Amino acid sequence: MQRRSRQERGAQVMVSKYSVVGQRHPRLDGRQKATGRSEFSDDVYLPGMLHGKIVRSSIPRGRIVNIDTSRAEQLPGVKAVITHKDTGGLMPGPDTVLLCDEMVNYFGDEVAAVAAVDEDTAAEAAELIKVEYEPMTPLFSMKEAMAEGVPPIHNYIEDNCADDISMAFGDVDKAFSESEHIRTDEYVIHPSHSSFAEHHVVVADYSLPEKLTVWTPVQSSAIIQMSLAQNFGLSSSNVRIMNLNTGGAFCGRGSERPHHYIAAILSRKTAKPVKIICTADEEFIIYRGGGKYNFTFKTGVMKDGRLKAIEADLLHDCGPYVETQFIMLRFTGFQLQMLYKVEASKFTGKLVYTNNPPYFFHHGAGLVAMRFAFGAQLDAIAKDLGIDPVEIRLKNAVDKGYTTLSEMHFASCGLKECIQKTVKKSGWKKKHGKLPPYRGIGIGCGVLRAGGKGMFDHDTSAVFIKIDEDGKVSLVTGLPDMGQGSHTAMAIIAAESLGITPEDIKVIAGDTDITPFDAGAISQRGTFTTGNAVKNACSDVKKQLGKTAATEMGVKPSELVFKDGKIFSKGKPEKAILFEDAVYNTLHSSEGRFVMGRGFYNPPTEGVSGGDYKGNPALAYSFGAQIAEVEVDPETGIVKLLNMTVAHDVGRAINPMAVEGQLDGQVFSGMGQTLFEECIMENGRVLNPSLLDYKLPRPFEVPGIEHIIVETNDPYGPFGAKEVGQGPIQCTSQAIANAVSNAIGHHIKELPITPERVLEAIRQKNKNQ
Amino acid sequence: MRLPRFEYVKASTTGEALAALQAGDGQTRILAGGTDLLVNMKYRIERPATVIGIRTIDELCSVTTGSDGSLHLGAGVTLSSLAENSLIKESCPGLGRAITAVGSKHIRNMGTIGGNACLNTRCWYYNQSQLWRDAREVCRKAGGNVCHAINGSERCHAINSSDTAPMLVALDAEMVIQNREGERRVLAREFYRNDGVRYNALEPEEMLSRIEIPRGNTERRTAFIKICSRRGLDFAMANIGAAVSVKAGRCSQVRIVIGAIASHPLILEKTAAVVEEGGLSEGGMEQAADTARTELGTLTNLFSSAGYKRQLAQVLVKRVLQELKGSSRNKRRAGK
Ligand SMILES: Cc1cc2nc3c(=O)[nH]c(=O)nc-3n(C[C@H](O)[C@H](O)[C@H](O)COP(=O)(O)OP(=O)(O)OC[C@H]3O[C@@H](n4cnc5c(N)ncnc54)[C@H](O)[C@@H]3O)c2cc1C
Ligand code: SF4
Repeated sequence: MQRRSRQERGAQVMVSKYSVVGQRHPRLDGRQKATGRSEFSDDVYLPGMLHGKIVRSSIPRGRIVNIDTSRAEQLPGVKAVITHKDTGGLMPGPDTVLLCDEMVNYFGDEVAAVAAVDEDTAAEAAELIKVEYEPMTPLFSMKEAMAEGVPPIHNYIEDNCADDISMAFGDVDKAFSESEHIRTDEYVIHPSHSSFAEHHVVVADYSLPEKLTVWTPVQSSAIIQMSLAQNFGLSSSNVRIMNLNTGGAFCGRGSERPHHYIAAILSRKTAKPVKIICTADEEFIIYRGGGKYNFTFKTGVMKDGRLKAIEADLLHDCGPYVETQFIMLRFTGFQLQMLYKVEASKFTGKLVYTNNPPYFFHHGAGLVAMRFAFGAQLDAIAKDLGIDPVEIRLKNAVDKGYTTLSEMHFASCGLKECIQKTVKKSGWKKKHGKLPPYRGIGIGCGVLRAGGKGMFDHDTSAVFIKIDEDGKVSLVTGLPDMGQGSHTAMAIIAAESLGITPEDIKVIAGDTDITPFDAGAISQRGTFTTGNAVKNACSDVKKQLGKTAATEMGVKPSELVFKDGKIFSKGKPEKAILFEDAVYNTLHSSEGRFVMGRGFYNPPTEGVSGGDYKGNPALAYSFGAQIAEVEVDPETGIVKLLNMTVAHDVGRAINPMAVEGQLDGQVFSGMGQTLFEECIMENGRVLNPSLLDYKLPRPFEVPGIEHIIVETNDPYGPFGAKEVGQGPIQCTSQAIANAVSNAIGHHIKELPITPERVLEAIRQKNKNQ
Repeated sequence: MRLPRFEYVKASTTGEALAALQAGDGQTRILAGGTDLLVNMKYRIERPATVIGIRTIDELCSVTTGSDGSLHLGAGVTLSSLAENSLIKESCPGLGRAITAVGSKHIRNMGTIGGNACLNTRCWYYNQSQLWRDAREVCRKAGGNVCHAINGSERCHAINSSDTAPMLVALDAEMVIQNREGERRVLAREFYRNDGVRYNALEPEEMLSRIEIPRGNTERRTAFIKICSRRGLDFAMANIGAAVSVKAGRCSQVRIVIGAIASHPLILEKTAAVVEEGGLSEGGMEQAADTARTELGTLTNLFSSAGYKRQLAQVLVKRVLQELKGSSRNKRRAGK
């Protein structure tokens, strides 16, 4: 049956260069997900499994005087109670000890943990653990933390300065002195949280001392495997990471967290598997979401709008533990000179330890805040100079072949195309400056790298392929799919390479005992890097099958084409052998070759090394532009996002349907960060730690979205593809905020733009008139 | 989050429920839809020893009409079924709007009118997990002597966010309350109290059995508006329920009630008087809205700032009057 239908399809005239790439393809696991059959870590129940609960600090700062675990230990059903003494001094991060020993540093810091027969008993036992503290004066503001003579949060860092960098390219002083107009503005972006649909969860099985198995949602099995192995003194192959499905990651699940270690230690102690799942409020208490950003931007331009110099300063509260914020600092510095051509840029950034909760990368790699600030300032500059916001962007936009001040190189670049197409589609020219009162339109642009070095010395993805005798392909990858559809994209790349359909391919992932190395779904590297590895593994397969096919057809292997389920010679397409026949015949012959492909990819870049921050970390960079239209209710201050026109240079859309999904998701999240979401912090605690009071938008808030996919066919990407991981969201906040500024005629400098802030801005504007 | 341990009584008659309530010594709670109670129990804000399920009591789950034409809503009727009720749609569409403004379809499928009317008051410092609350001294609502929301306050200012409450007050609804001795009736406007802790008139051994809505004359118009940050699944930043009789362009029996900005629905009497005086003319409505802003007493900075609440109240009054002007059972006579 199937063979015939294949042949029929083969007879059709092909119009596109590609058979599968570029077609709209529903996710391979869509049906499973939609019918609730997909397995997540919390679905894992192992025989004898215990439930863990973490005891958290109820004060933001203090010395631990005593921990009384006796009552918890006596509670029937409790199997283990652990404190710092049981951790062997383990430090998950350079400034973090596992289970506080002397000091607690934020409200929610892990102090002790229990394992019990069920969740209720574990919770009850946790309540019975009495911790006595000697409270110390907490430092909630950066000003307090930086004051002379305050007792530092970590005694080895006296000034509470966790990091302090300066990154300059070009002659900054000269560029400013030549500038004809200089503007300085300050921006504040309040903390917002990732609010994963799937809470933090882990099941750890360390029943035997030589083997640790961990089920958990993460963006990179490789990173967590490496960290757990190092800290437990295990060899890495003895740490098995089971990464099933992941309910959202948004840059916030790159690495391991304390609960991973805690579950493992509880499991070791009890010789039983242990599950820990965070409750809704714990999600906000352990925080690791977006921090509070205070930006100062100073920008110099010529009267015609040409950018001369950008100088930015970021003072960033990093809570008591640095986590990923030092990377965010550097990313921000690089970004200043990546989107627009500028003669010089300078970034100074400082991380300050406080007793607020620890922060982490947040949707958009921590760069959305920076992009909002600069995008808002660029609009203000355009207004000062009487230039259209679109014109000033087009005038300065980078192009294909451009090398930035820090020596990043853009082998493909669709920035101008993105701007032009969004402008056209949104009707910008008819609208900007011509809309009725309290209606506004705004534009935002962005750039982001697709993969690249930094996390490891390499940026490797490896892939195995096995083909069963019926021609069905198993593609084995260590790349996780957190909902972005990466597994379907890998299947499409393999299907295109092998001339078959994605439905012929099973993606096997999420088990480090089986899957080859993959640095993970971080830094927008999946499609680009793992995609290239898939292509390489397919080449290996084609060599093996080509031998069989060429012999059977009496042609040269180099002449073979794999397409539409067949293998044929370029010159003689009528003479073809079915793909599955080639597979079958390769095995069922006296040679008995079983078809297995292998491939890996590591982008041949040097990365950034040395103190000058120069070098090209990635081969490909994506670009985007978005235009937002809003309506402001001047009486209530409520902003309605009417529609978004969204263009993204993805290089090549492997699966346009998934690209649109990513665009939608990022508009949604960007809209949340801009208009709705704010963790209201008071004395180191989130006042609104629930999805009822933390105003995550809902599907009803989604505006009309026009998608524009720009394809620049990147020379290094698989079939020309780059990324659509977190590039689009870079544009969203700026576009919406600029639209609101445009609607009310007042420069918005604070996110999120809540109704009360809108009314305040309108008041300010009326006062200034 | 997990529920704490409790005994469950599944009542099949009002008598059974009342007996269990009395036996419970104040440690008992009524569970209607549970969409408020169970959340609070998971947070350990409420730790009742016994929970009495009332959705199995037939007499509480019906809508009937009294001999005087009043509408009797059983406390256990779900919001979803009331949203479909044609009597409500016809005679008091404002109440229908208030009902469909609650939460989401899921919440309305479970939630009852009685539960919504008896909704516990809310506060950022109270509706929190045990761990969160442990970090601070116990506040007044939880039995302590301090208030974290309003430093130095002698009372609790937790907010009543019920969407139907302001409308019930505006409709002069009567709350029928039962205990083992019998029945008493309280006007909705007296049922709610300006106190975050004792937010309604129910005694521990009492329950709400039904809500009676007077028939109202044929000229009665009703309207409800809610302002919240999200479209749905959100408590109001402020809401308003209003009722007015309009006859020959004259307004009488004006009731304007603002909810979700204080511990009880706020009745704007001066504003109502302005409407009775000035009617639904543009100028009259503006004047009424301005009056509303000044009429509101002290408001707290809880959930939003007092200034913003005042602003919302003014806007809501204007908008609800505009809606009343446009809506009538008799469109031809709609005040011009
Ligand atoms: C996500 C979410 C969103 C929500 N959004 C809204 C909203 O927009 N607007 C809104 O108004 N509410 C909202 N709520 C609150 C709540 O869901 C509704 O108010 C609902 O109508 C409550 O009804 P219930 O039957 O579920 O009440 P329950 O939870 O069963 O009871 C609520 C309280 O009333 C008491 N009670 C119930 N019935 C009686 C009775 N007959 N006699 C005496 N006491 C009684 C209970 O003991 C309890 O204290 C929301 C809740 C959630 C979880
Ligand atoms: S307003 Fe009431 S609930 Fe809120 S802190 Fe004060 S006493 Fe507690």
